[in-house]
Amino acid sequence: MSADTHTLIIRTLVRIIRALWGKQMIRVDESIQVATNQAGEPVGFSWRNGSYQVITKPVRWFSRRNWWDESARAQRGIGAGVLELEMWRLSASKQNSSPAQFELIHTEATNSWQLLRIFG
Amino acid sequence: MSFTHLNVSSAYSFHFGTAKPDELAKAASALGFEALAITDLNGLYGAVKHIGSCLKQNIAPIVGVRLNVQHKGNVTILARGHNNGIGWAALCRIISAAQKKSKKEVSISQKDLAALMKTDNKANCTILLGPDSDFGQATILANATVAAQKLLEWQKLLPYKSALAVEIVSHLTEPGTNYSTMQAKRMLQLAKTIGITPVITNAVRYLEPDDALTGDVLDAARHLEALGLFDPQPNAQAWLKPASLMEKLALEITESKTLALELISNTEVLAKQLRLDPVSDCGWSKPKTPEKSALGIEGNPFEVLWQKAHTGINWRYPNQSEDKLLPIRHRLHQELITINKLGFATYFLTVADVAQMIRDMRIRTAARGSGAGSMVNYLLGISSVDPIEHELLFERFLSTERSSLPDIDIDVESARRHEIYRAIFKRYGGNRVTLLSMQSTYRGRGAVRDGGLALGFEPDQIDEIAKSIWRFSARDFRGMLGKKPELRALAAQLDTDRRLNLLVDVTERLDRLPRHISMHPCGVILGNEQLLSHTPVEPSGLGLPMSQFDKDDMDPMGMLKLDILGVRMQSSMAYAIREIERVSKKSIDLDSIARDDAETFKQIRTTNTLGVFQIESPGQRELTGKHQPTEFNDLTIQISLFRPGPMKGNMISPYLDGRHGIIKPDFIHPDLEPILKSTHGVVIFHEQLLKILNVMTGCSLAKADELRRSLEKDRKFVEKFFKENATKRGYSRVVVDRIWSVLDGFGSFGFCKAHGAAFALPTYQSAWLKTHYPTEFLAGLFTHDPGMYPKRLLLAEARRLGVKILGVDVNRSKDEYLVEKTHDGLAIRMALTDLYGISGAEISRIIENAPYKDLADFYLRANPARSTAKNLALIGALDQLGSNSQDHTRGDVLERVRQLSALKSRPKLTKDQPMLDFDLIDLMPKGNPEFTKELQLESEMDLLGMDVTDHQLAKYQPMLDQMGVVRASELVGLRSKTDVLVAGVRVATQSPPMRSGKRVVFITLDDGTGCSDATFFDQAQERSSHVLFNTKLMLVSGKTRRTGVKGVSVMAENAWDLNQLWQQYLKENLVAVEN
Repeated sequence: MSADTHTLIIRTLVRIIRALWGKQMIRVDESIQVATNQAGEPVGFSWRNGSYQVITKPVRWFSRRNWWDESARAQRGIGAGVLELEMWRLSASKQNSSPAQFELIHTEATNSWQLLRIFG
Repeated sequence: MSFTHLNVSSAYSFHFGTAKPDELAKAASALGFEALAITDLNGLYGAVKHIGSCLKQNIAPIVGVRLNVQHKGNVTILARGHNNGIGWAALCRIISAAQKKSKKEVSISQKDLAALMKTDNKANCTILLGPDSDFGQATILANATVAAQKLLEWQKLLPYKSALAVEIVSHLTEPGTNYSTMQAKRMLQLAKTIGITPVITNAVRYLEPDDALTGDVLDAARHLEALGLFDPQPNAQAWLKPASLMEKLALEITESKTLALELISNTEVLAKQLRLDPVSDCGWSKPKTPEKSALGIEGNPFEVLWQKAHTGINWRYPNQSEDKLLPIRHRLHQELITINKLGFATYFLTVADVAQMIRDMRIRTAARGSGAGSMVNYLLGISSVDPIEHELLFERFLSTERSSLPDIDIDVESARRHEIYRAIFKRYGGNRVTLLSMQSTYRGRGAVRDGGLALGFEPDQIDEIAKSIWRFSARDFRGMLGKKPELRALAAQLDTDRRLNLLVDVTERLDRLPRHISMHPCGVILGNEQLLSHTPVEPSGLGLPMSQFDKDDMDPMGMLKLDILGVRMQSSMAYAIREIERVSKKSIDLDSIARDDAETFKQIRTTNTLGVFQIESPGQRELTGKHQPTEFNDLTIQISLFRPGPMKGNMISPYLDGRHGIIKPDFIHPDLEPILKSTHGVVIFHEQLLKILNVMTGCSLAKADELRRSLEKDRKFVEKFFKENATKRGYSRVVVDRIWSVLDGFGSFGFCKAHGAAFALPTYQSAWLKTHYPTEFLAGLFTHDPGMYPKRLLLAEARRLGVKILGVDVNRSKDEYLVEKTHDGLAIRMALTDLYGISGAEISRIIENAPYKDLADFYLRANPARSTAKNLALIGALDQLGSNSQDHTRGDVLERVRQLSALKSRPKLTKDQPMLDFDLIDLMPKGNPEFTKELQLESEMDLLGMDVTDHQLAKYQPMLDQMGVVRASELVGLRSKTDVLVAGVRVATQSPPMRSGKRVVFITLDDGTGCSDATFFDQAQERSSHVLFNTKLMLVSGKTRRTGVKGVSVMAENAWDLNQLWQQYLKENLVAVEN
């Protein structure tokens, strides 16, 4: 198989997948500053010199991590933080641009935020 | 607003839940819940514990089960309460039906479930259709129409009020996945549309979020795969959330305050209907003994018991004078009054009925435990020791101060135990009987193994670590790392090995969690006709149904449990009696032989007690040497003394000193002399403690036993009670203080005399058989192998006693060690069963087709595997089959077997032409060398594990003689502190925990003349460390230490491997010859 055919096949696959998902996903993994309301829900954040406003009610959910690959200890009482991740899914937009979906990780212990992924 | 959790898996959802019922109930109460459910997977394994814990915490219990409904997913089925047990019974029967199919696939069909859930056109249970039901799954995987259809199907099948509820759960997982808020919303909407009540739960599987890590490890154990190789739980949300968080969840799902409140209140309304009344619903504490009809009695059970017990007097005490019978009647009446007060007459009749049934089956039985303290038990034939003669107290067994059903344990022949179980099922009917189960829990090694599996360790590495976990609880594994020398290497690795560090943590997490359920080794539950409405059952390994409840559940459930324990010694004795009857035509009633036979005690005092029940261990033999028992009561005392309690309480030495007149017993006060005389002033027995309290404080014996039970927990209270009341009764302060210090020191160390006396009976009986019928007795020991030693030691003992042993012979040997008459008396014929590699099928073929006329005949008709044929030849079992065996050596026989094995196919037997072709080549080889004695012995050791023709040590005798090695039998004649060498085959190694904490190693060697016991202290252990635990044949140097009239042991100084010495000896002697 020539390199060109190979590239062609991959491009086609990517197009099909994008068509199926209907959107593009970008992995970011960067620390960000987030503003929250009284209920602790994000209302806006800044990222790469841009300021984003959350435009619908954000959804919070919980994911997990593989502590057996990452953690140094797992003793009784260490807390679910070793296992659990607090995730936020929200629609936000920069001034004058179309909204996108963002996925954020909130670490409660340090009250820090991370932008994980963007769905365009 | 109040809330109740309706879906809670406890740790009794094996390999799933992480919290024990008592922890859950305690937490629920602390969180202000008024009720709590337990809904374990596939059973009520934790239900009784849950109800008990709820009662303790003063909250209402709710009980259900999570079950798979065939093709309909998993649902939660909860019993409805306050309906006189209709819900509980249905729940039990639903589970039993689901368990019926097979252990691997527990499930029930939707139709069967619907049928069992209906009583008088009302639902007796409520089903929760949650995310794991077919309906819940459809809301994620299919469209709303499909999901609605599934729900309608359930509704159609169970059109009763409150039969169904939709269980709304959100574990806040990723939107669109199982247990997500999105799924909850869809389920809620459909429930409302179709008109089925929605309720909210948290599908709880742990107490706190932190326990989710334990959950991960349990998931791995369940999947039998390492973490990372299967889909793990989505997050850590399945914990017992407080009401406030559940309300928040409801709000998140409904997005409306009103709707959220409605969802919570629906849940609370249903929860109220599900609350159980333990007494009226579950029969809590209500005794469930078989009905009169099942026992074959009419009229008032107490009157029947009265009658039976009185009839027993004539049986147990024939031709006794009236004044001798008076105390017996008095005792009997006191016991009967207590039994009547407690309403236990039926219980005693039941146990008596079972005991009678076992005797009718001609199976040996004996009572064990405190039950031997009851005159009623003695008169009903449940126990066989006279409680008056042996000064045993009924109050230690049963009193009005306690209302729980007493334990009566029956020892039976182990080989026929299952026969008894089946007979009980037959006699009382499958609806009244089930076996008891037991739950095993994670202990150190199991926890390390499953933790290691979860973390993906190699099995070898885990084995290595598991081996180092020894005699400590894995709960503080990390704490032990710095303390135990055997863990030092592991501890050092932790700093650099992250995974090993995790292993220590997860091992601690797993420790003590329930692991799985299995059949209890001896428990049978005997109930009334409704038993299966009170306990769910599942198939046991034995094929008979087994309750999902364990022994701790029996008392709260009012269930009668009989412990029918298989004891190999009973089988051995029964076997010996059978052989005596078969060979010598003498019938012996072992239970009625006189218990003061001088010959028997003389034989015991020699300390050659190998094979005698309870007193054959090295420690007991040493004690026998010191103690020198002369009567039955001495055996009771000796058995009781050699127990952890009395040993820790340091009771042995003062007792022996008193017995041998070295010190004069101090009874402290004349009132105590009658109580303590037989033990020379030492308090050994619970019964003695009871009597002291009774005499000095004037309390009843029943009260005294309560005081004894609280001595450990509430010492201060007992002290106050004793001192006040004894002083009131005029005992001086000095006496009161001194006696209290004795009682205080006694603490929990004593032993129940009834237990000791019950054990002493088989001890005496086995010693009696060994004394008077050694051949038959040893045949029984060989066949049923009851002891702690290898069989080859029995052979040595047979040789020592002059009992003849006949080798394995395919024409004569069976699957048991039979007694054979020979021209010079009785002998034991070895069985086929101990040959290495022989199968059960081969054994039965050999027995069925015997006798054989020659080797070809044997090879054809018995059809043994080639290896078996060869092995049989090697041990001489085919020697008799060489035609004219006189002319042929074992070498010839072996060669012939080789020839036969070399034939490609064995000719098939036909009726017309038996083995014609085969006979043609039946030419017995000649001229092969005879086996040397050494080769014979070697084959025997390799293939039978026994040195049959001679003792293993015999070949070393020239060297041993030259070195001046003393024989075991000669030790007793030596002075104390004589320097000696002893040699022998290791038969036992023990390292009991010592008061000082230092390790002492006891090694027992057998040299054919008996056993010598060598004691290794620190220095000797160091010097001989290379041979201490592994070497089979040993030479030990040391000094004799006299421990009693017949007791001598060797204080070891050093030890060597006999074989190494032998090689050296051979070398040197060769040199000597050459020179």
